[in-house]
Amino acid sequence: MTNLGTGNPTAPRARARAPKARQLTSGAPPALRLVGLVLAAGFAFPAAYLIYRNFSEGADPGGLLISRRTLEPLGRTLRLAVSVSVSALILGTSLAWLTTKTDLAGRRFWRVVLPIPLVFPTFIGAAAFIRTMNPGGIANDLLANVGVERTIEVRGFFGAWFVLTLFTYPYVYLPVAARLAQLPGSIEESARVLGDSAAQAFRRVCLPQMASAMAAGTLLVFLYTVSDFGAVQLMRYDTLTRAIATNQLANPAAALALSLILLVLAGAVVTVERQFSNRQSQSGRTRGNRPVIYRLGRMRWPAFGFVAFAALNSIGAPMVALLDWAYDGIRRATGDGRGLTIDAGDVWVATYKTLQVSVIAAVVAVGAVLPIAYLVGRYKSRSGSVANAIVISTFALPGLLIALSLRFWTIQSDLAFNLLDNTMALLIFAYVVRFGSLAMGVALVAVRSVPMKLHDVSRTLGAGPVRRFFTVDLPIMSSGLLAGAGLVLLSVMKELPISLIVSPIGFSTLATKSFSSFEDAFVAEAGILSVVLVALSFVLSWFLVIRRAEHL
Amino acid sequence: MLYKSSKPAATLSPMQMKRRVLTIATLAALIASACGGGSSLDEAAEAIYSGSCADDNGQTVTVYSGRTEALIKPVLDAFACETGTKVDVRWGDSTELALTINTEGDRTSADVYLSRSPGPVGFLEANGHLGTISDEVLSLVAPNNRSATNTWVGFSGRKRVLVYNIDTVSADELPNSVFELTDPNYKGRVALPATNGSFVDWFTVFRDQYGDDVATQWLNDMVANDATFYPNNRAIVEAASRGEIDMGLVNHYYNYQEAAAAGDDHRAANHDFDDDDIGSLLIITAAAITATSDNVEAAENLLTYMLSEPVQQYFSNETFEYPLAAGVAPADILPPLDLDSSGSGSVSYDDLGGGFEQTTAIIEASGILNQ
Repeated sequence: MTNLGTGNPTAPRARARAPKARQLTSGAPPALRLVGLVLAAGFAFPAAYLIYRNFSEGADPGGLLISRRTLEPLGRTLRLAVSVSVSALILGTSLAWLTTKTDLAGRRFWRVVLPIPLVFPTFIGAAAFIRTMNPGGIANDLLANVGVERTIEVRGFFGAWFVLTLFTYPYVYLPVAARLAQLPGSIEESARVLGDSAAQAFRRVCLPQMASAMAAGTLLVFLYTVSDFGAVQLMRYDTLTRAIATNQLANPAAALALSLILLVLAGAVVTVERQFSNRQSQSGRTRGNRPVIYRLGRMRWPAFGFVAFAALNSIGAPMVALLDWAYDGIRRATGDGRGLTIDAGDVWVATYKTLQVSVIAAVVAVGAVLPIAYLVGRYKSRSGSVANAIVISTFALPGLLIALSLRFWTIQSDLAFNLLDNTMALLIFAYVVRFGSLAMGVALVAVRSVPMKLHDVSRTLGAGPVRRFFTVDLPIMSSGLLAGAGLVLLSVMKELPISLIVSPIGFSTLATKSFSSFEDAFVAEAGILSVVLVALSFVLSWFLVIRRAEHL
Repeated sequence: MLYKSSKPAATLSPMQMKRRVLTIATLAALIASACGGGSSLDEAAEAIYSGSCADDNGQTVTVYSGRTEALIKPVLDAFACETGTKVDVRWGDSTELALTINTEGDRTSADVYLSRSPGPVGFLEANGHLGTISDEVLSLVAPNNRSATNTWVGFSGRKRVLVYNIDTVSADELPNSVFELTDPNYKGRVALPATNGSFVDWFTVFRDQYGDDVATQWLNDMVANDATFYPNNRAIVEAASRGEIDMGLVNHYYNYQEAAAAGDDHRAANHDFDDDDIGSLLIITAAAITATSDNVEAAENLLTYMLSEPVQQYFSNETFEYPLAAGVAPADILPPLDLDSSGSGSVSYDDLGGGFEQTTAIIEASGILNQ
C-alpha cells in the first residue's frame, strides 16, 4: 500500500497510454488490486451460479432469445426500462437541483422526505397505489365527492412506467443531490461574474459536473426496472421477469436462460455507461467554497408545487392506502372485530432487526465497493473496471436468483456450510452482493472528486497513505459515500427474497412480516408494518440529511 | 460527514466528537445485541390448545412454510407447547421455498414443507426431494386429498369460486359452470389470475380431465371474450370489491379474509359453480416431509397434529378454509362440500407428463397475459 496515490500525473508511461487521463496513475498498488480481486470474486457468485446452472441444466439461452416467447417480453422490458430511466432521470435531477441549489420553500423537509419512495416494497407499494388511485379507490371517492369523475386506470405500460418512475427516482435524486451539495461554488460564481445567466451557468458548469452522478443513478434505475417483478406484475405489464417467474417450477432451464439474458443485457448497458462516464471531466471540491444558492423568485411557488406534487404521488398516494388499512385494522381490533395477528412486541422486534441489518449492510457495502472505486476512479485499472461491471450488473438479477445462488454456493463445501449456514454473516454478505451496486456508482463519483493536487501536497508534507485517506479523501467523499449508504440502507429495509431465504431461521424484518400478512389479505397488519417501515426510513433519512447538512 | 469547511479536517470540535462517539456507540449496540421472543401462547394458539406447555422433549422440527405466518404460526406454536417439540420456521412464498429446497438438496435444514397449492409439492416430488409419509398419517384424509405415492398429504382446502361485485352483478347473471363464461354476456367482465399457482394447478387438472383441446379452447375463448389478466387471487378480490372488474376466478377463501378485514366496505361476494363443475375444484394446501429429514418422527407428529380435530377446527373457523380430516365440518359461512367427490388429490401431477411446463406454455400462448 506504500505507493497508494504516488502516481505522478506527468509520468511518461501514463501519458502515453491515456493522454487525456489527468490525475490518473500508471498502476494500482498490488495490495489494493488483490483486495479488489477478492471483492470482485465475492460479487461474482450470482453470475457464476447462473452460468454454471445454464450449463448443468442444458439451457439454451441463444435459442430462447430468438423465440417469440422471449422477444416480446424482452422488448417490453427494454421499452419500460428506457422510459422509466428517462423520466426518473428528469424527475430525480430536477428534485435534486431544486432542493440543493435553490431557496425552495421547505427544502430541508423535502430533503428528508424525497428518498422515502425507495423503502416501499414494490408489491405492497404498487398495491397501495392501485387501492388509492384506481377506479373505486380512495382518491377517486374523494374526487367524486367534489364532482370529479376520474376513470383513468393505472395499469399496463402506463401504470408500470408511472409507478416505477415514482419509486425509482431516488436512485438519481440521492447521488445527484450529494454531488451538487459538494460542488465548488467558485466555478459557478466565476461563470456568473463572467456574464452567464443562471441557465447558462447550469448548462455549462453544473450539468457537466453532475453528469456522471446522473449517469450512475440512471443506470441503477434502468437495472432496477429490468429486475422488478412486484410492480410490473401488479400493473399487469408482461415483462421478462414475469416469464422467469412463471417458468421457475415449470421449466427451470428456460427460467435460467432468461435470467442469463437479463445479465448479459445488464453487462452491456453497464459497459456503455462506463464509456460515457469515463469521458466526463470532474473538478474536485476545493475548500472553503459554499455552494451557490439560486433565488427562485417568481418560480418559487410553481417549483414548490412541482416538488409537492411529486411527493404527493410518490409518497402520499401509497401512504393513504397504507394508513387506511392500518387505521381500519386497529379500529376493528379495538372494537369488536377480528383481532390483529401481530402485537406491539412483534412490531418492535421486526423494527429492530430491520434497522440492525440495514445499517450493517449499508456500512459493509460502502466499505466493499470503495477499493473497487479506487481501482477504477484513481488508477483506471482494467481489473477494476471488470469488478465494477460485475458489481453493478448484478443489480439487474431478480433477488430470488441472488438468494438461491448464495444458498447454492454455501452448500458446495463442508467448510463454507459449517461456517456460514444460518448465520447473519451470510445474510449481510447477500445484501451487500445484491445492493453493492447502489453504492458503487456513487463511490466512484466520490473518489474522482478528490483533487490529486491535495494528495500531492499532503504527501509532500509527509502524510502516509492511511493518514491521507482519512484526512484528505474521506472528508471530501463523505457526502457521496453517505448517499450510497443511504441507497443501500433503504433498499435492504424493503428487501424480500434474501431476507426470507438466506436469513438465519426465525429471522424476520418489517418487510418479510408485511409480505406474510399481505399474501393472505391481512391488509391491516401489512398496513401497520409498512407504516412503521416508512416511519423508520423517515427517521434514518432525517439522520443522514441532517448529518450531511452540517457542512452545507 | 465529519468535514467542516471552516476548520482543519483532522480536528474535531467537542460537539463533533460527541456525535462521532454516539454514532459508533449506536453501531456497536446494533451489532452486539440480539433479541429473544416470548414463549407464552397467544389468543389464536390458545383456541387450539389451552393447557400448560409440556417440557422440552429434546426433539426439533424445522418447517419451511409457504403458508403465511399470520395463519399458520398459531398452529405451530400450539404444537410446540403441547408436545414440547421445538419448531423452527422459515416463512416464505411456496414456490420460492420449493426452489430453495431444490437448491439446498441433501443439505436442506427443512424437515417439513408446507405449500399453499399442490404444484410446488409436485415439483419437489419430481426432483426426488420428498420422503414417504406413513400410512397412519396419510389415512387421516380421504384418498383424493393425498399423494398416490405417499409423499404428501393435504391439510386444508380452498375451493375455486367466482368472486363478483355485489353492486354491478345481479344474481340471475351468475353462471353454473366456467364454460358459460365464454358467453357474450360476460364479455370483458371476467378476470383470470393466469400466472397464479392455484390457477395453474387448476388449469392443469382441467387439462387432465377434459383433454388439452377442450382446455386450450376454453382459455382461448376466454381471451377472445376479453377476459382480463390479474396476477393473483387477492388482487382480483380487491379489484372486484372496488368495482374495477365485475367478476373473477379465485380461491374461495380470499373473499372471507378481505371481508373479515374490511367489513361492510367490502363489496364482493363468492359465487359457487355447480358442485360437479370443474370450476368448483378443491385446491388443497399440502404438507410433505423431506427425503433427507433427520427428524422424521417429530415431522410425522407435526403432520398428525395438523390433521387433528382442534387444528382442523381452527382452519375452518379462523382461516375460513375447508377442513380435510377428523370429521370436522366446514364453518357455517362456507357452502357445504362433498369431500369424496372433489379434490385435486386424485390427480397425479407426475402422470400429466410435464404437466406444468405444458400448462405454462398454453397459458403464455393464449395471450391472456397481455389482456
